[in-house]
Amino acid sequence: MSDLNTVTTAEAPGGQPNVPRSPVKKDKPRSLAGDAWADLRKRKIFWVSVVMVAIVLVMAAWPTLFTTADPGACALSNQYKGPTGAALFGFDYQGCDIYAKVIHGARNSIVVGVLSTALAGVIGLFFGLAAGYFGGWLDAFLSRFVDIMLGVPFLLAGIVLSNRLSSDPKSDGIFAVTLTLGLLSWTSGARVMRSAVISAKNQDYVAAARMLGSKPSRLIFRHIVPNSIASYVVLLTLLLGINIASEATLSFLGVGLKNNAISWGIMISEGTQFARTEPWPLVWPALFLGVTVLAFIMLGDAVRDAFDPKLR
Amino acid sequence: MFRYIVRRLLQMVLTFFGATFMLFALVFANQKDPIQALVGERPVSESQRIALTERYHLDEGFFMQYWYYMKGLFTGDFGTSMTGRKNWEMMADAWPVTLRLALIAIVIAATFSVTMGVYSALKRGGVFDNVSLFITLVLLAMPIVVIAPLFQLIFGIELGWFPPTATRDATVWQLLLPAIVLACIVIAPEMRVTRTAVVENLRADYVRTARAKGLTRTRVIWVHVLRNSLIPVVTLIGVDLGGLMAGAIVTEHVFNIPGVGFNLARAIKTEDGPLVVGFVSILVILFLFINLLVDLLYAALDPRIRYE
Amino acid sequence: MPGKAPWKMAAGATAIALLAAGCGGGGSEDSAATSNTVVIGIGEPQHLIPTNATESNGSEVLSSLFYPLVDFDAENKPVVVAAESITPDSKNTVWTVKLKPGFTFSNGEPVTSENYINAWNYGAYGPNGQGASYFFEKIKGYADLQSKDPDGEEGPKKAPDPKAKTLEGLKKVDDATFTITLSAPFAGWESVMGYTAFYPLPKAAWKSEGVIAEGFEDAIIGNGPFKIKGKWEHDSQIVVEKVADFKGEAPKVDGVTWKIYQDQQAEYADLVAGNVDVQTQIPIESLGKASADLGDRFKKSPNSTFQFVGFPTFQKEYQDVRVRKAISMAINRQEITDQIFLGSQSPATSFVSPVVAGYRPDTCGANCVYNPSEAKKLYTEANGPKEIKITYNVDGNHKAWVDATCNQIKAALGINCVGGEEPKFADLLSKVEKKQPVGLIRLGWIMDYPLMENYLGPLYSTDGSSNYYGYSNPTFDNLVKEGSAAATEDEAIKKWQAAEDILAQEMPVIPLRNGQNVYGYSTKVNNVTVDLFQKVNLYKIEVVG
Repeated sequence: MSDLNTVTTAEAPGGQPNVPRSPVKKDKPRSLAGDAWADLRKRKIFWVSVVMVAIVLVMAAWPTLFTTADPGACALSNQYKGPTGAALFGFDYQGCDIYAKVIHGARNSIVVGVLSTALAGVIGLFFGLAAGYFGGWLDAFLSRFVDIMLGVPFLLAGIVLSNRLSSDPKSDGIFAVTLTLGLLSWTSGARVMRSAVISAKNQDYVAAARMLGSKPSRLIFRHIVPNSIASYVVLLTLLLGINIASEATLSFLGVGLKNNAISWGIMISEGTQFARTEPWPLVWPALFLGVTVLAFIMLGDAVRDAFDPKLR
Repeated sequence: MFRYIVRRLLQMVLTFFGATFMLFALVFANQKDPIQALVGERPVSESQRIALTERYHLDEGFFMQYWYYMKGLFTGDFGTSMTGRKNWEMMADAWPVTLRLALIAIVIAATFSVTMGVYSALKRGGVFDNVSLFITLVLLAMPIVVIAPLFQLIFGIELGWFPPTATRDATVWQLLLPAIVLACIVIAPEMRVTRTAVVENLRADYVRTARAKGLTRTRVIWVHVLRNSLIPVVTLIGVDLGGLMAGAIVTEHVFNIPGVGFNLARAIKTEDGPLVVGFVSILVILFLFINLLVDLLYAALDPRIRYE
Repeated sequence: MPGKAPWKMAAGATAIALLAAGCGGGGSEDSAATSNTVVIGIGEPQHLIPTNATESNGSEVLSSLFYPLVDFDAENKPVVVAAESITPDSKNTVWTVKLKPGFTFSNGEPVTSENYINAWNYGAYGPNGQGASYFFEKIKGYADLQSKDPDGEEGPKKAPDPKAKTLEGLKKVDDATFTITLSAPFAGWESVMGYTAFYPLPKAAWKSEGVIAEGFEDAIIGNGPFKIKGKWEHDSQIVVEKVADFKGEAPKVDGVTWKIYQDQQAEYADLVAGNVDVQTQIPIESLGKASADLGDRFKKSPNSTFQFVGFPTFQKEYQDVRVRKAISMAINRQEITDQIFLGSQSPATSFVSPVVAGYRPDTCGANCVYNPSEAKKLYTEANGPKEIKITYNVDGNHKAWVDATCNQIKAALGINCVGGEEPKFADLLSKVEKKQPVGLIRLGWIMDYPLMENYLGPLYSTDGSSNYYGYSNPTFDNLVKEGSAAATEDEAIKKWQAAEDILAQEMPVIPLRNGQNVYGYSTKVNNVTVDLFQKVNLYKIEVVG
């Protein structure tokens, strides 16, 4: 636990000149991020996951780099045909080119997954920090609010939100789905964060920092957050996977993406129907989804390990 | 401690009212034409519409409807569902089987995730760690709408290892397959969080001290490390019940279990306000109790945490 | 505070929770499979009061508990069952029903004409809000039993009580005879009385006059071959057993367990596993393997379902009849029934179902024949919209065929076509009522009684109850009415056919598919047939060995 004195920033307590500064090493003052980067560069798993995430992101941004076929061009006469030259993965129930659909489906899945997780991450972080650090009535109020949120059924909130948000008949529902998933998935993170904060706040180094006169904001963001964020980051990377998959559940319930929007989630739930006779329309999008989630989780794991001072 | 629990119980009462109000507002916002929703695609005659509108106070404003509901609640009447049955009776029918299902799922998920999480952490980077990571991720990446019918198909029909459906008074054996399906959605997060926490604690000073004192490795891991790693895991298991309930909507549908998830889905579809609020209020109370339990467990797991 | 205390409290609380959950279960006694009973899968019925049972699940259960006045023969002509005779007067206005003697309800009460009259009055009385009350519409005095809200639905004023409580047209002659006076002549009335809504109710049903006793619905008493054993176990099952000294045709099985399923795929899984004996509708998802799973126990029979899409008249872009014809010609019905429905439905080329008398194939003519080049030509000529939409409710498994239909339209007409998703049918209707641009509306119809009029009236008449798209043609309306008032059925059919010809000219809707029962049964049972109303024939089914 030596990082107490190594972190120095612009917002260092100016009014308290008697805070002991660490005897900065003469050779090379390194920041937390600099340390982490030096550590990350050496990890093979980091580079593998970076490449995989990059491919997926490129696929989401410029799908036409990977295929020239129109994913909306489907004909029943092609139903369940095997792979041909352009259609690498064959055709599905509707006679659509599975390869083209998987490539074009990446964008919606990634956008929904990443944005909803980011939203949930921010909300959960603030709820957890506030409840865990300040405790008392604020904790009571916030925690009970989380309890209520946990009880609200996904289906009900999904229907209400998507009805309210996507009144425009032409909308593809991405905004509504992202918001629905973001607003409903932050609760478990908030509770994990809260418990991590509660246990971090009782640690000696926090008490020490408090006695040394650290301001609450500094205490929280310099000491408590770095020491309690590890589980939270892991949870968020998992949440990303869950949210990409949940989009499929929303679509299944009729409150998901609309107007022929393509996504892996929709492809998977459609593929499941006939999986007993024709498994491929299910296997391909599921594989892409699985690999993408895996890449994000590996990346999250590597970054977390690098940033966690305790693991150095 | 006692005062703390009393305080929490008092909070529960307030939360309960907050929850019913919020839920009522949500359902109300969603209510367009419950009479049509009830009859499906059949046409509704005008006199039928008038009769039902009056019976369920559908023409009154939000606050009046909420008032009728709360008034009923204080006299022990949970209201009447749009299907004509008493809400109380429907809840009494649905809750037991869902509770058993969720409980089995939690036990399965906790057992698997904690043992596998600890083992992965010990063999960090090894074959077991990577394989289990991959398998749990595949399960995680599968939406429940896929896992449930797929498991039913593979293990219920093709292999015939489990009964493909369950009933209201199902045995543990009948509920096992749906419970495994439910456990699948929470196993991955629980296992990852266990692994992370254990990895962190393995490097803590107290582990070195304990080993230096001459304690066996097994004892250090399963008693000292695990106890200190369980806080985030216990939290997660507590909130995962929410995930289980959301999953139950699909799982109960697939396995034909007339429980809470199924009733809730139907009530939402038919815009059956009082029934939705009834079910979800109980759900919220359940969460309040579970989270009280979880908070008490914090203090048990980490003696430094005190409630007063 | 002792450090160990929280452990104990937490453990204690957990134990209590576990116990509480465990106790809920209780003994699960398998319904002892007495040899001569069958298990038939259904969905949860909405209601079991006959005048409120408008969906097939409820009416299927009721068919085991009640004995109808009339039933239908192989040609869908009405035959008397519980009635000795049903005779109209010369104008088809006053119908006299004579009951067969000696019949009793399963509680021992004799069945009299009063049982019918009281049940029907209850069903027709507006404030009772009975779903099937519209069946009594044709009886004289129906309007007096309805209330009108003076200031509309939203208004604060409560609707006044209706003028009368009993139908003027129902008259008791003696205990075994009563007359029904219609407000207008109707040759097909006997067929109408085959519906569930026309069952009698025993005296035990009433708490007081016109009020059903509490709990009666869950343990309903009928005049049929079976009686309820115990109570309706909601969402789980309804067990019925044979009435010992039943006077009518005796079924071959001793009892039926109506097992309730929420999902047809779960039901199919149980059919394959042998937990259920008959499934009347195998879902499309399972059809691919049904022949392999069931062999010759996988069967098909016609039913009355008619699937179509309607053009809302408030959307100007579909006003040109050439646009409507072109879209219809762009759809390859055969390909969709073969590949999307795996042969479980058949292409529709007329505006009524093939199961009714008077049906002629291909009344839609060239308009319902797949012809992409002609369609394209017509569409370009008429300058049809660049994008069309087919709105449907996602809770009814319509996505697959809507997508396929859209793909065919896109390919044939070179325009864009999207499926508009609504969570449920009520959402779709509310959009139509607000005249939002929903595009083509997905609709379906299951007949109430086997007459052409039951399609023409509700679906295409100006005041038809299911005419959501607003089609209105006075000539058509008159022909339907004249048909209903005709003296004989043949004359009626002629008028109705003339009306159908108008539809073929104007194409207010596109006929798409006719439904079929695709059913399967276990090795335990034999002689399983499913009728037009999607009901298992309970008098024929028998247990093997």
